[in-house]
Amino acid sequence: MTRRLLGLRRGQLAGLVLIAALVCFALLEGLLHGADPASQDLANPFAGPSLSEPLGTDQYGRSMLARLAAAVRLSLALSLLCVVTSATIGVAMGVVAGWRQGLLDKCMSLLLNIALALPGLVLVLLFASLAPGSFLMLYVGISAVLWVEYFRVVRAITRRVAASPQVQASRMLGFGALYCVRRHLWPAIVGPVLTLAAFGASASILALAALGFIAVGLRPPTAELGLMMVELFPYYNEAPWVLAQPILAVFLLVLGLNLLAGGEE
Amino acid sequence: MSVLLQVEALSVSANDVTLLEPLSLSLKTGEALTILGETGAGKSLLVQAIMGLLPSPLQARGRVLLDGQDIGRLKPALRARLWGRQLAMLPQEPWHALDPLMPAEQQVAEVYRYVGGLSAPDALERSRQDLAGVGLAGAAERLPGHLSGGMAQRLAFCAATAGGAPIVLADEPTKGLDASRRDQVAALLRRARERGAVLTVTHNIEVARQLGGHILVMRDGRLVEQGEAEELLARPKDGYTRALIGADPQHWPDITPTDGAAREPVLTVRGLHKSRGGRLLFEGLHMTVGRGEIIGISGDSGCGKSSLGDILLGLLPADGGEIRRAPQIARHRYLKLYQDPPAAFAPGIPLGRLFDDLIGLHRLDRRRLAPLLQRLRLDPGLLQRTSVAVSGGELQRLAIARALLLEPLLLFADEPVSRLDPITAREVIALLVQSATEQDCAVLLVSHDLELLRKTCHHVVSLGGRA
Repeated sequence: MTRRLLGLRRGQLAGLVLIAALVCFALLEGLLHGADPASQDLANPFAGPSLSEPLGTDQYGRSMLARLAAAVRLSLALSLLCVVTSATIGVAMGVVAGWRQGLLDKCMSLLLNIALALPGLVLVLLFASLAPGSFLMLYVGISAVLWVEYFRVVRAITRRVAASPQVQASRMLGFGALYCVRRHLWPAIVGPVLTLAAFGASASILALAALGFIAVGLRPPTAELGLMMVELFPYYNEAPWVLAQPILAVFLLVLGLNLLAGGEE
Repeated sequence: MSVLLQVEALSVSANDVTLLEPLSLSLKTGEALTILGETGAGKSLLVQAIMGLLPSPLQARGRVLLDGQDIGRLKPALRARLWGRQLAMLPQEPWHALDPLMPAEQQVAEVYRYVGGLSAPDALERSRQDLAGVGLAGAAERLPGHLSGGMAQRLAFCAATAGGAPIVLADEPTKGLDASRRDQVAALLRRARERGAVLTVTHNIEVARQLGGHILVMRDGRLVEQGEAEELLARPKDGYTRALIGADPQHWPDITPTDGAAREPVLTVRGLHKSRGGRLLFEGLHMTVGRGEIIGISGDSGCGKSSLGDILLGLLPADGGEIRRAPQIARHRYLKLYQDPPAAFAPGIPLGRLFDDLIGLHRLDRRRLAPLLQRLRLDPGLLQRTSVAVSGGELQRLAIARALLLEPLLLFADEPVSRLDPITAREVIALLVQSATEQDCAVLLVSHDLELLRKTCHHVVSLGGRA
């Protein structure tokens, strides 16, 4: 028997705590510390942790605390934007395609198959290369990959629910389509959609970092986790603890979101 | 006669709550033992405990001796080796036990090959013989999805017994089958009895009568009464046994409401025909349903009873013919009751809120609900629960209440009690017929049980050409 709190399993709770801690870190740093993540101090590269710089400095003497918090803020903001956009589009299209079926469904499924034929990262790369270093393009590219999952899952659930006796019964009693969506469909899709959202958020964080790492994502001096890794990589021998910081941040973000999404049952 | 299976003081409990009180029984070669009781009596738990299939929070105590060996002490892997070879279990819902993507003959051949150790061609040959033996020769290459309930049950029987196990445990093997299919399954079980022994769990009195042998009557995990089949069924001593036997439609009093004078028709059907999947379901169907009339619709499973209902309610197009409703009547006054009550309610939402939605939508008089619930013997407190937290019988009565709230002219009841146990079924049918008659609502009552229809309906329409 697993203990439950807020209807979450223990693993999910751990994920929630982890994500909440990262959000707090990112926001509190902005409010309390407030150093410029781009301001250099060339006399002071790779300074060890001190009271004023608890996480040390990088090769240009920039505050790692400020850079790390800015990068986590950026990753979280992008993932939130991408998840909300892709979920809205995917769920709306899935409900319409599953409920109405027919020609509309066929057209949307065709679009889906086109999107599925391209590997996700290639699609994001395509968008990223249209306007290098543009946050907007990354956002559009990642959202264009993520909506597919919502559409597929929601469409399948909608088809099942729309054909079920419970919906037939409600329709016969005189209820309209909107009522059926609210009472019958929404409770059935909200769980899977939230799970997909958590996975989608971790996928978008990884995509952003991966693009930064291969230098087609955002441009320096932006503090971005993948970019920080590749910039610090040449110094792994001198300052491994500095290189470890963005890696650990990505690891914790993805771990937290996957724990939140997953269930051990 | 040698004792094949001996059960000594077997009990099942979950977290210190006893679900099945200590029970002892023995099964000898050539013997049939039937456990009779309603849903929730712990009958299925007993079978699962003997097989070693109890879900994890449940724990069995006591001894299960197979040829003198206590199999309850065996490791799960060793115990699993007995399945099919020593003990075979016929599952409750054959659909869940069959592979939906494997042709019928293959499912049985697999058992001969991997349990019996035959070569692939021999296994297939034996499988075909078995299927022919139960009248499935023509269906050998079909997938389970293309079989009717009775055919699927016979296929599951072949697959379960192909391992050659002398002891067959059957868990509600006739659930949802009509009388002729039910008798076929009972005949199969009698045949299995000749090869070993059969332990059957059922709530169907007729199956118990046909199997003969010894009967144990159970209720709430406790043994109520036991005895030889003929003696016990003819002269039950316990009040519960009497109620259970009385709940069999054969023993019902005739509860058909008195037939009034000429009734204005609410539904007229002329020359209706419909085919599905290249098969003609019915043609030239004529029917007139008058106000407050109770009409039975009978027929084998798969003969198109549910399709007829959907056509009459306008949910499915007919291939031809004419359906005329009473003029100027709102669509929502022709309603349907479903076979599986939980399937007809939104899960996870308190029932009271669903009723509120309905009352709000049609601006009904809220004060009508309480007397209606009372009429159907429902506790208003049930409305605070969700549909999964209410028993099947209560939920079906709530569905009746939901329909009657709209003052329907016609209620199409599609096997409304086939998933309920007999005592509850009798109560629900009686309440349905009485309360609908009081509101002058016509009922089309679909059932595979002709006896039930004869006792409740003004007249009976047979589909599929069988009276």
